Amino acid sequence: TGGHTTEILRLLSCLSESYSPRHYVLADSDKMSEAKIRSFEQKRAETFSKSQFSLDRIPRSREVRQSWISSVVTTLYSILYSLPLTYKRKPDLILCNGPGTCVPVCLSAFLLGLLRIKRTIIVYVESICRVETLSLSGKILYYFSDYFIVQWPDLKKKYPKSVYLGRIV
Amino acid sequence: FRFKDSLAEELQSADLVISHAGAGSCLETLEKGKPLIVVINDKLMDNHQLELAKQLHRDGYVLYCNCSTLVETLQSMNLSALKPFPPGQPDKFASFLDKVFGLQ
Repeated sequence: TGGHTTEILRLLSCLSESYSPRHYVLADSDKMSEAKIRSFEQKRAETFSKSQFSLDRIPRSREVRQSWISSVVTTLYSILYSLPLTYKRKPDLILCNGPGTCVPVCLSAFLLGLLRIKRTIIVYVESICRVETLSLSGKILYYFSDYFIVQWPDLKKKYPKSVYLGRIV
Repeated sequence: FRFKDSLAEELQSADLVISHAGAGSCLETLEKGKPLIVVINDKLMDNHQLELAKQLHRDGYVLYCNCSTLVETLQSMNLSALKPFPPGQPDKFASFLDKVFGLQ
């Protein structure tokens, strides 16, 4: 969604074409991100002619301020929904930055890793908006990601396993 | 004017921006090099939004007030004391990922 999409496209801006093809996963309710992504990829294709990408949609796992109990149910449903997608794409890398959408995708990849079907490296970048506390997605994925990147020093102190590179968006 | 796709044009021609503490608004304004006063609404605010506004204020990039102190802030503000906001560095992220995958 909105801010998350803008941030993640900035993160992608300096990546080489080794990080290709790019598969974007969006919540089905997200109206605005697709346009931003297509515009980004279009510009990219001007420089890198063999550039490839795709877009997939999954049900939104949690609405803002949705209750705990119903969140667990909807997230489990989203994980089940994500499994075939993750299995099909078998990504080498999952890059995410916090929207609820990313939790089921990452957990499904983590599960495929446990089952020795595909080992995916999960890189989580917490939003620039998070200075002192982690988002709910961050709190969960801190334990499931291979690299957990924060953008402010206070968070590095509180979450010692995280990586601090300064402001990267 | 309620929900335009982008305020980029208005931002470009503004001399001073007064905004709520939404991250997108703050960062977009700072990146355009415009002086910014962030107004906090304690009653409506989602606490985590405050974190970024407070930090930006601590680092000297924005002025900060609530609805009732806005007038006073406008009267006594010293915009030249605000520091220019350095851009983020996505290249550091790219280097980091390249190291992870052995791609340097």
